[in-house]
Amino acid sequence: MLQKNMIKISSKKILAGSALLAGLTTGAFAHFQMLYTPNTALVKGETIELREVFTHPFADEHTMDMGKQHDSKELKPVEEFYVINKGKKTDLKSTLKGITFTGQHNSGKAYASQYKAQRMGDHVLILQPAPYYEVNEDAYIQQITKSIINVAGTPTDWDSDLGLKAEIVPLTKPYAIWEGGSFTGVVKSKGKPVPYAEIEVEYLNRDVDMKNNKTGKAYVEAPQDAFVTMGIKADKDGEFTFTLPKAGFWGFAALGVGSDKTYKGKELSQDAVIWVEAKPMK
Amino acid sequence: MKKVLLGLIFLTGSVFAHTAIMSCFDNGDNTITCEGGFSDGSSASGVIFYVLKDDKKVFESKMSEDSEITFDKPDGNFEAVFDAGEGHQVHVKSSDITE
Repeated sequence: MLQKNMIKISSKKILAGSALLAGLTTGAFAHFQMLYTPNTALVKGETIELREVFTHPFADEHTMDMGKQHDSKELKPVEEFYVINKGKKTDLKSTLKGITFTGQHNSGKAYASQYKAQRMGDHVLILQPAPYYEVNEDAYIQQITKSIINVAGTPTDWDSDLGLKAEIVPLTKPYAIWEGGSFTGVVKSKGKPVPYAEIEVEYLNRDVDMKNNKTGKAYVEAPQDAFVTMGIKADKDGEFTFTLPKAGFWGFAALGVGSDKTYKGKELSQDAVIWVEAKPMK
Repeated sequence: MKKVLLGLIFLTGSVFAHTAIMSCFDNGDNTITCEGGFSDGSSASGVIFYVLKDDKKVFESKMSEDSEITFDKPDGNFEAVFDAGEGHQVHVKSSDITE
């Protein structure tokens, strides 16, 4: 009986301990701008659903309000949102609709949009949100985000270097990777490689409920925090390779590589984000 | 061995070593646009294209400089064919063509 009580007490202590730990590590996980659609390799042209959410894709412990500012309660709208197919750029800003997206711990202001991916080839989607004020760091974060979808299998634009302020240019088609395959990219700023760039890698560890704008159950558990946000570095030429051990979506964020370093007099981390999908072999 | 190597070089140097691909959509104005291509991104400009209806050719042309073609939508069921040579034909059925 006594032994049973002791076990009870110790498990309570462990729980309290892990709650504290969770409190401590909040904010340490990587922020990732999502530019999500459930399938990046389309068999034929179709209208796709997109969700633009600023979150922590592995731990899902905090969903941010996109465009949050330090000097105003108003959220700043997205700066740029467009698509490139066969070299032709189409503005998509007017397709963005404000939504509330619900994660496991809170809700945040995000966007939903639709895009008619009608033509064959690659559709390179670029989202440049307004800088987000991160109160814990008293600094701004702006993640220029690239997601590439393909229609029917013909490659057209996937490897384009768009000369963005912060950009990851893929050397592997981000929509044509088997589970267990690898992804290679080059970190660039205005077309120039960024040597030894610091890159955070996260697995989208949740179902995204497109209908209800919320996340579902976690797929995997991390054995330790270093597996939640994996830190890697580019080589001297700004190039990096990462093997995708599990099917699903993987985000890469090259931190602070952009040419803009301040915003509204505060420090700005202008990051380059790219999303890559690994397909199951079945 | 030399023969095998030569053979491989010959094969990979031609577009026929790659997969032929075609995707079509309905423009909503009684015309259909079909885009052709290859898995390595090579142009399909000049590739033969035709439309079959009841096994008869009702339209025949070549892919444009932009590797695409637009034609009047036939009544009823038909098949669009991208013909890049033997073993490299792609057939798209009208029932699979949407707006």
